Amino acid sequence: MSLLELRGVSKTYGNVRALWDIDLTVEEGQWIAIMGPSGSGKTTMMNIVGCMDRPSQGEVRLGGVNISQESGKNLTAIRRDKIGLIFQQFHLINYLTALENVMVAQYYHSLPDEKEALLALERVGLKERAKHLPSQLSGGEQQRVCIARALINYPMLILADEPTGNLDEANEKVVLGILRQLHQEGSAIIVVTHDPEVAEEAQRTVVLEHGRIARIIENDKWNKWNSVENSAANNEENGKGGAADA
Amino acid sequence: MADERKREDAPGREDAPKRAAEPRRERPAGGMGRRAFYLRMVASSIIRRRSRMLVALLAVAIGATVLSGLVTIYYDIPRQMGQEFRSYGANFILVPSGGGGSLSAAEAERAREYFPAGSVVGIAPYRYQTAKINEQPFMVAGTDLAEARKTSPYWFVSGDWPESAGQALIGQEVADTIRLLPGSVFTLTGAAPDGKSFSRDFHVSGVMQTGGTEEAFIFVSLGDFDGLMGEGAFDVVECSVLAAEAELSAAAGRIAADMPGVAPRLVRRVTQSEGTVLAKLQSLVYLVTVVVLLLTMICVATTMMAVVAERRKEIGLKKTLGAANSGIVSEFLGEGVFLGGLGGLLGGGLGFVFAQMVSSRVFYRSIALRPALILVTLIVSVLVTGLACLLPIRGATEVDPAIVLRGE
Repeated sequence: MSLLELRGVSKTYGNVRALWDIDLTVEEGQWIAIMGPSGSGKTTMMNIVGCMDRPSQGEVRLGGVNISQESGKNLTAIRRDKIGLIFQQFHLINYLTALENVMVAQYYHSLPDEKEALLALERVGLKERAKHLPSQLSGGEQQRVCIARALINYPMLILADEPTGNLDEANEKVVLGILRQLHQEGSAIIVVTHDPEVAEEAQRTVVLEHGRIARIIENDKWNKWNSVENSAANNEENGKGGAADA
Repeated sequence: MADERKREDAPGREDAPKRAAEPRRERPAGGMGRRAFYLRMVASSIIRRRSRMLVALLAVAIGATVLSGLVTIYYDIPRQMGQEFRSYGANFILVPSGGGGSLSAAEAERAREYFPAGSVVGIAPYRYQTAKINEQPFMVAGTDLAEARKTSPYWFVSGDWPESAGQALIGQEVADTIRLLPGSVFTLTGAAPDGKSFSRDFHVSGVMQTGGTEEAFIFVSLGDFDGLMGEGAFDVVECSVLAAEAELSAAAGRIAADMPGVAPRLVRRVTQSEGTVLAKLQSLVYLVTVVVLLLTMICVATTMMAVVAERRKEIGLKKTLGAANSGIVSEFLGEGVFLGGLGGLLGGGLGFVFAQMVSSRVFYRSIALRPALILVTLIVSVLVTGLACLLPIRGATEVDPAIVLRGE
């Protein structure tokens, strides 16, 4: 059973088709990067996978469970229990300390546990900064708190939206190092990025164009870089509308 | 196929702990309680965002101050105005009932028990008899002069009130007729009801002006009056009582039932006008209080709306992290209740100071602290702030959590 399966997923907003017949499978422990220009459907795909939106057509299975037509309340519960989110803009609560920001995720999940939250911060190298407010942390440190928060409830899947988009080179390396370590420990990660260097860290890069999967690049670092051209024209010939099995 | 790739393909994965494959952990029992963390979040929000919260707290406290002050004044008006009205004389009298009734000193004293405790300003009994000065007839009134001074504070006395036997307070009309001044001596002659003649000198201690019929009277102490006329029943007992017309009517009913020889009466022109003025004044303050309450609600609601609106992204983030709408509402409500409680407590205290200032400047009297009103202010303040929070929060919980991902 795959961790995540998208089968024929489309999303339309009025007359605009944001996603078009997407097929994608993510196995447990895989690291996928999603790239594409603005308006290619990356955010829409993240929203659907992150249980913040529902597809107009098709089926999304997370851990074998079809979540395509779940109610908002159930999607909130699935997101809370199974998904860890990392944001480009960190989105820490400004009146809570780093430690409390991690504990918030525990609070909404089950029970806050200060020791466990402190261990999560230690894991991202921020134990000494646990009592600091976000305003007292650098961008890189804030992103590491965001990562600790995403990990604290042992999610099935980590979704990272441009996790290094607001960081300098040094902090980018630190954050990528943490993601690499998480991946080595078995976490499944989907990263949306514009940065080819970040995408190179993933096992596969899914390139979106105009709401379709244009191609899938097998990362050479993992598997000698295979590039599977899967152009829209070929897909149309096959009657698949740009969909690709990842 | 690419999707057949397993995580074991990753370099160094064989020795790595299978974190994602671990069964979902339950938090240890020793973890912090949800309620404790909830309070920690609410307290952190208030303390660490104090510059923002101060604005909301000020709005609540100012509203509570004005509300508490006005309600204190509203409830104190009858007492304040009642004392003011007591300046205009007695509002209740006892006279002998028709058909041979009489009014003894014991009955006059007993009447005091029929009024609410502490409400009696003064009870002055009067006996009247005609006597002569230089063969000119005048009405002499014997009374308890200390009590008369309380029941008739509007009498303007030139000189002094009588303080010892042999002193008299004469009306301006009497003084003008026989040309007497404070310090003059006059001789009072006449016959007592039993026919015995008397003649006695009195010192004029003061000349009294009232603008009424009292100016034609000579007032002496009851002791001096009894010495001249012999002991007897009172003609009238004037009572000045701090009570509403309804309370006086109830007392009159009880006195009439218990003392058949006594006819109690309300001085209608005083009690009715007092009641009318009080009712109008209270209505005015009530109206102002309601308007202030509404304005306070609007002010607090607007402030809370602004507070909630600027935290829209935070609400979206919390929803993204898995917060239920009810959880978010309870967090904001917790902050609102805390603000309402603190603002209400401050407002209750400051409201009393405000009422005290108004009372001392308008009525020249101090106001009594009513702890119950502070409690009511606290409750109303919490309710108003809670309600003012609920309205904007209910809308804010509709925030799409995806706005956080979009970075809006």
